[in-house]
Amino acid sequence: MSRRLPDSLVRVGALAAKEALHIRRDPRTLYLGLFLPLIMLLLFGFGVSFDIDHIPLAVADQDRTAESRALLQDFVAAHEFELKGALPDPDRATRIMAAHRATAVLVIPPGYAEALARGDTATVALLLDASDPHSAQQSLARADVMAQVATARVAAASGLLAGGGDGLPLSARTWTRFNPAGRSALYLVPGVTAYVLALVAVLLTSLAVAREWERGSMEQLFATPVGRLEIVVGKLLPYLAMGVVQVLLVMTAGAWVFGLPFRGSLWLLSLASVLFMLGMLGQGLLISVIARNQMVATQASMLSAMLPSMLLSGFMFPIENMPGILQFISHIVPARYYIAILRGVLLKGNGLAELHTELLLLGIFAVVMVAVSTARFKRKLA
Amino acid sequence: MTGAGEPTVIEVAGLTRRFGRFTAVDHVDFSVRRGEIFGYLGANGAGKSTTIRMLCGLLAPTEGDAVVAGFRVSTEPERIKRRIGYMSQRFSLYPDLRVRHNLEFFGGAYGLWGRHLAGRIDEVLARVGLQDLDDSVTHALPGGIRQRVALAAAILHQPDIVFLDEPTAGVDPVARRNFWSLIRTLSEAGTTIFVTTHYMDEAEYCNRVGLMVAGRLAALDTPAALKARHVPGRVWMIRGPSLGRPEARQRLAALPGAIQVQTMGAGLRLRLSADSPVDADTIRRALATVVDQPVEVEADEATLEDVFLAVVDADAWRRGTAIARGEGPP
Repeated sequence: MSRRLPDSLVRVGALAAKEALHIRRDPRTLYLGLFLPLIMLLLFGFGVSFDIDHIPLAVADQDRTAESRALLQDFVAAHEFELKGALPDPDRATRIMAAHRATAVLVIPPGYAEALARGDTATVALLLDASDPHSAQQSLARADVMAQVATARVAAASGLLAGGGDGLPLSARTWTRFNPAGRSALYLVPGVTAYVLALVAVLLTSLAVAREWERGSMEQLFATPVGRLEIVVGKLLPYLAMGVVQVLLVMTAGAWVFGLPFRGSLWLLSLASVLFMLGMLGQGLLISVIARNQMVATQASMLSAMLPSMLLSGFMFPIENMPGILQFISHIVPARYYIAILRGVLLKGNGLAELHTELLLLGIFAVVMVAVSTARFKRKLA
Repeated sequence: MTGAGEPTVIEVAGLTRRFGRFTAVDHVDFSVRRGEIFGYLGANGAGKSTTIRMLCGLLAPTEGDAVVAGFRVSTEPERIKRRIGYMSQRFSLYPDLRVRHNLEFFGGAYGLWGRHLAGRIDEVLARVGLQDLDDSVTHALPGGIRQRVALAAAILHQPDIVFLDEPTAGVDPVARRNFWSLIRTLSEAGTTIFVTTHYMDEAEYCNRVGLMVAGRLAALDTPAALKARHVPGRVWMIRGPSLGRPEARQRLAALPGAIQVQTMGAGLRLRLSADSPVDADTIRRALATVVDQPVEVEADEATLEDVFLAVVDADAWRRGTAIARGEGPP
């Protein structure tokens, strides 16, 4: 040897290179690591859209006046509701919704126009199919907007007829920022990023280490001068690199396909990503040290990392709407903080000033996980 | 190389390992000289692997200590690991990697890298006779070849001592013979070999053999000395038709000084005590009335298997009496 490298560096390098070879030789790992994130992104970006328009609407117009037709026109003008048909009788609404022909039925009772003309409050009914509560909620919100539009129009018209007045006594104006179009792709990409990172980091590391125990090669490793920390670092490095590639992949695809903006600091996002991944890798390592077999490791990864990262992180369901106990649990789900940081950096251009708490919590989780797993790893040696 | 006059490289004193209330290795003492092939023989569960794992620094002794390559297993296991090679029971190569990649990894684990490592890999592959296989994916190779690759991996860093835990388990006889000739070459070059096996025929290749029975080292010596001490007397091999009849066995067992009658293929093997007056003619006469044709009788040699059985029997007898006296095993 002409030059000297520290032995420790050589050993960690050998471990990392070996792990990289395992990854390269196993198409499933590559699939999980590189294709799954893209598929998830497209699936969630296009398929699981929370944006609802063209809500199938049926109408039971019992008034049959110019005013009732104008109201219907207000509902369907913006294409958020799409008129599927007219019902002769409101009693058939239930059947039409049960048959999935419409998810909303607008019932305009007789005397609607007359009430308007008298200046009374005119009431119409909107029946909603709430078997999908999320859609129902959105339909309700849209219907509210439509009703307001109609009210404004009617008020303006009556004011005009009365020869004066300045419209509604009060009108609220909403101004949505950061995701003005309310597109769910922009909301979901950060969640997908966190989810695939959690998946790859926890599942793949726990499998990789459990495999060594299962095959007995861990004992062979312990018989070499390789230290515990060297094994941990050598094992984790290739997966950390894979995670970095994933983040770049998802971000690029998100920007390209869905026009995901990038308003904040790249450094902040990179730091958060590395901290989040370290925590997840540590968790994967801990699982494998305890489980020592691939079957248990897979299930433990699903339960402890993948499900919480999807369900309790605010990825799909807002944390504020969860029952208290789940909100409480969500505090120890690191994906929650990572998603908050991603949304903050990407959509709002937030900096350290707004996100330092989340960053700190990610850091704590990472340190605790890597420390605990390394300690457990050591102790299991006898 | 027999190791005589060479320095001691393994010194074991009172080495004990308990797992809960079970004593896997019970106050074992021995020493191994440089260049020796030291065989560790015993049934499954006799404590062979536990001993080897303690000597490799993988397992801490509960009691006692051992000095391996100049370092104590109790206090300096990490320093031992640099000086030894270890081939575990399931010669743990990575099946999905190529032979060369496996060797590069294990070389790296011992701090070898770059051109020096590449050179060492070529050397060890040539030494185990597999220079053309470095590009093969490991799981595609037959067991005997994989075992040689594992040996190559264990000697990459030129260790002083190589520990082989059941290296030939599940390997065909030809591959086993080839493997032992490799081991002999290694020992001639000055590497100490510590090998466990439960194949008695393999133990004949060792310079010295230790017999493990229930965690204790029940006997330790050269194969020849072990036979002389534990299986004194003579052994006769009797061949011929109709020896399968139970009467044939009974007649032989009734001869004065008969210790054991074993079925060997179509024949019988008779072990006699040293003071037995029985000779070939006595045997023929004893069998004359129970077999139809005259039998062939020739002198045979005691094997290590005889030694092993004798030692195990003696141990069982000793324990049996100890229990009968109400003392229990030590």
